[in-house]
Amino acid sequence: MNAVFKQRRARVGWMTLVLAGLFLMAVLRLIVLVEFDGPRLVSLAKSEHTGETELAAVRGPIVDRNGEPLALSAETRSVYARPAAVFDTTTARERASLAAALGLRPRELEAKLAKPAPFVWLVRRVSPARARAAEALGIEGVGALSEYKRFYPESNLAAAVVGLAGMDGQGLSGLELEYNRLIRGEPVELSFYHDALGHPIFDSPFALRTPEPGAQLKLTIDSSIESLAETELASEVQQSGAKRGAAIVLDPFTGEVLAMANVSAQPDSVHDRLHNAAVQDAFEPGSTMKGILASVALSDGAISLNKQIYCEEGHWTIDRRTIHDDSRHGWLDLAGIIEVSSNIGAAKIALGLGANRYYDGMRAFGIGLRTGIDLPAEASGLIMKPSTWRAIDLANHGFGQGVAVTPIELATAYAAIANGGLIVRPYVVAAAYDAQGNVILRHTPQVMRRAISPEVAHQVNLLLRNVVNGPNGTAHRAKVDGFIVAGKTGTAQMVNPAGGYYQNRHVCSFVGFLPADDPRLLILVVLYDVGHGHFGGLYAAPVFSEIASGAVRDLNIAPVDGHYDVAGMIPVPGLGKAGKELDEAAAPDSGDEIPALTGVGSPATPNFSGMSLRRALAVARKIGVTPQVNGGGYVVAQEPAPGAPLSHADIRLTLAPVQGDEPEARARLVTAGAAVPGGAL
Amino acid sequence: MPTIDRRLVLHFDWTVFWIVIALAAIGLLSVMSASYGGPHKHLDPLVVRQMIWIAVGAAIMLAAVLFDYRALQTYAYPIYVIALGLLIAVQVIGHSTGGSRRWINLGFFHLEPSEFAKLAVVFVMVRYFREEPPQGGWSLRQMIIPAILLGAPVLLVLKQPDLGTGLILVLITVTLVFVSGLNWRTMMVLLIAAMCAAPLSWHYLKPYQRQRLVSFINPQADPLGSGYHIIQSEIAIGAGGPTGKGFLKGTQARLNFLPEQSTDFFFAVFAEEFGLVGTLTLLALYAALILRGAWIARHARDRFGALLAIGLVAIVFWQVAINIGMATGMLPVVGITLPLVSYGGSSLILMMAAMGLLISINTRRFLF
Repeated sequence: MNAVFKQRRARVGWMTLVLAGLFLMAVLRLIVLVEFDGPRLVSLAKSEHTGETELAAVRGPIVDRNGEPLALSAETRSVYARPAAVFDTTTARERASLAAALGLRPRELEAKLAKPAPFVWLVRRVSPARARAAEALGIEGVGALSEYKRFYPESNLAAAVVGLAGMDGQGLSGLELEYNRLIRGEPVELSFYHDALGHPIFDSPFALRTPEPGAQLKLTIDSSIESLAETELASEVQQSGAKRGAAIVLDPFTGEVLAMANVSAQPDSVHDRLHNAAVQDAFEPGSTMKGILASVALSDGAISLNKQIYCEEGHWTIDRRTIHDDSRHGWLDLAGIIEVSSNIGAAKIALGLGANRYYDGMRAFGIGLRTGIDLPAEASGLIMKPSTWRAIDLANHGFGQGVAVTPIELATAYAAIANGGLIVRPYVVAAAYDAQGNVILRHTPQVMRRAISPEVAHQVNLLLRNVVNGPNGTAHRAKVDGFIVAGKTGTAQMVNPAGGYYQNRHVCSFVGFLPADDPRLLILVVLYDVGHGHFGGLYAAPVFSEIASGAVRDLNIAPVDGHYDVAGMIPVPGLGKAGKELDEAAAPDSGDEIPALTGVGSPATPNFSGMSLRRALAVARKIGVTPQVNGGGYVVAQEPAPGAPLSHADIRLTLAPVQGDEPEARARLVTAGAAVPGGAL
Repeated sequence: MPTIDRRLVLHFDWTVFWIVIALAAIGLLSVMSASYGGPHKHLDPLVVRQMIWIAVGAAIMLAAVLFDYRALQTYAYPIYVIALGLLIAVQVIGHSTGGSRRWINLGFFHLEPSEFAKLAVVFVMVRYFREEPPQGGWSLRQMIIPAILLGAPVLLVLKQPDLGTGLILVLITVTLVFVSGLNWRTMMVLLIAAMCAAPLSWHYLKPYQRQRLVSFINPQADPLGSGYHIIQSEIAIGAGGPTGKGFLKGTQARLNFLPEQSTDFFFAVFAEEFGLVGTLTLLALYAALILRGAWIARHARDRFGALLAIGLVAIVFWQVAINIGMATGMLPVVGITLPLVSYGGSSLILMMAAMGLLISINTRRFLF
């Protein structure tokens, strides 16, 4: 018995050892898992348990400069389902009633639920009432979440500028894209735990923040001018048979874009939001380039105002290529060349200037460079390097052939002529406000560089008036009642991608500004793919005129008498130094100059002599008086006299039309070149 | 029912008793954890049920202490027959969950005959081997009857199908045969036979069982399919770290990444919440229980008591070993619960009864 007992004990001992060995293995394995594989497994667990989803914030509205909405977001509800849960807990009849509540056919619903996914959308962006009806059925695994739907209350107004936001609230084009990060708000990045089937677990301890609503964008765009521009452009696109058109209205001093219209002959509500030809398409400008040429040549000294150039009676051959003019001309000065838009004259000026100097001058105007406007996918124009130019290329560049510009580039270049020579950065967003109304972004005018001197700018300003008002001008149709307009037409054959130019497809344009003596508006009109005709003046200029007429009314720009070309040259005493200062005072952003006019401490009556009514009113406004006005034209008399103490705000101005002799007026302007509006900018 | 002997109280084995209570308490905690955050505010019905079972189990355990285990020599075969009958019955009237028939619904209780079969096999084997083996140990021929006695319930269990319980039955029997004294020749023959049978058995495995074996060798072969359990379990254990995430803070289980959280994958859930400290404590409790059982076996006065103690310990040991081996990725996935802690009435009550018998064996060595 004892031996047996011992034997048994031995066996049990062995057994215990084996078991203990196996146990030890388990312990070792556990330690390995925790201590060695631990970090890897922990990160695996984390990535497995946490998911990320975005609770979309309300996209901020986009409004024009007066607060008119251009893009808004409305709350909608989207109904989702967890198919497994739904199938587990519902009968076919209950699912049919769910389908009915959602406005789906039962078969459609079954198809959506049949997807092998833990989460499916049943319907998206439906009215809260419909979502409530679905939720009211109390089906497990069916719920609704808020989503926001973007809509554009003014339908297609400024469509290409505002752009498009996608289904999931992401900007796709235009400002919706460019400022997406501001207007989308702060979506709550939910790094939540989800279960093995991927169901998000939103309850504690993962506290839920509410998404921060997106910022409101306030544009520089003026809806009424935008609407006018689009309407006028559209009607001209129809009448002229153009495929599409673009128009830009700028404040030439600040670079604020008041309107940017893109119109297609066949409107397409999506494509028109995606593509903004005004900043994304380059075209050969044709004769509008002559205004730039004149500016560069005058700056350079390659030409003077009274130099005569022979225009070869309409045909001139260089490099075995013949340049044609639309009408035959003999000797013309620069003013004449611009007025009749002589290609031969422009070619000769360009040749006199030389490739490098002309190239540098164009670059100074920003030709071939992006303007830096706050819109996405801005294109730049194209200039070839001057080292590759032959004489004929240089000649062609003189009248805008062989070079490409975008509309915004050309508008910015002409804004420099209008504002006294400065290239400003155009912009469409004035400010952005957060949900509490705090300013989070404010754009102020930004001067990029000086292209030309104020003197040259004013000289070219005068030259461009002839295009509209001169007896042989090409753009009489650009005239605006009560205002002096300066501008330039352009027509170019379209480039055939296969080589050469299309004979019967043209880009017609007009770029101009008004009032010419103190420009408030710069307007560019481009009509693409016009099948017949040659003159930009015929098609684009009337659009300019219509937009300008409406815009001056909207902006309450005071008209001046329509007599031609005498601003600032009235033969009245005191024009010299005082006149310059007054001009500066009238220019925007020069309020600091006012104390110099009125004297420090004791306000004195300014000298209004020779001012246009508009300028006189601007000066009076700055010193806080409202003058009584008699007559029209230019100030010929005032009471009290200049310099008298401004004790009582009772100023009487007498205005009279003044006729000036043209050549003499021009000569005077050159000597008084400093008195250019905007010189103070 | 014999009258209560004073010595039964005097020599009551508190070690086993408190280990069992501690394990049951751990089990209750984890059932609470698994049902936490569910639809019920305070006490989930699952928790209440587990509490009732623990109470019933404790009562049965104490009753088993009063029971003279030697009477089992008489009842072993009848109990075995009843167990076989229940295993057959479950094929006929059993409830099917997850594709296998394992339960008989008694209305108030879901009886799991395979749990009962484990005890029955222990009893009948111990009964068969109660005589001392001949000189040199049992021969191969004397293994025929035990083979049949084992084969019948194993086949029935495999039919359910329940590979895990089948495996446990075999391992318990092997343990008993080894301890009861096998001659070395027989042992070698059986070993070689088992090695030959292993590849053949591949053909008899169900496709999902084969997949589990493949997944065991390379879990990443199908991480979202058959390898899923192993990977999720390892993640849970690793993520728990040395000290765990804290009670009710485990995410693997809470987020249902782990299946069978309160039964087969209890260990992983526990490891995630209580870390290495917790799992080693749990293992220490089991080790203490098993060593105490082995100690009881060594000190038992009679051969029947010693073998019975080994058999009861073997049930606990192999279930723990396979379950933890599975949870830590050392063994393929087979559905085996952790004794005394996993949720489930049959398993808990029968295991507590078995531990009552163990106490009884230890207590009675002073009685005769």
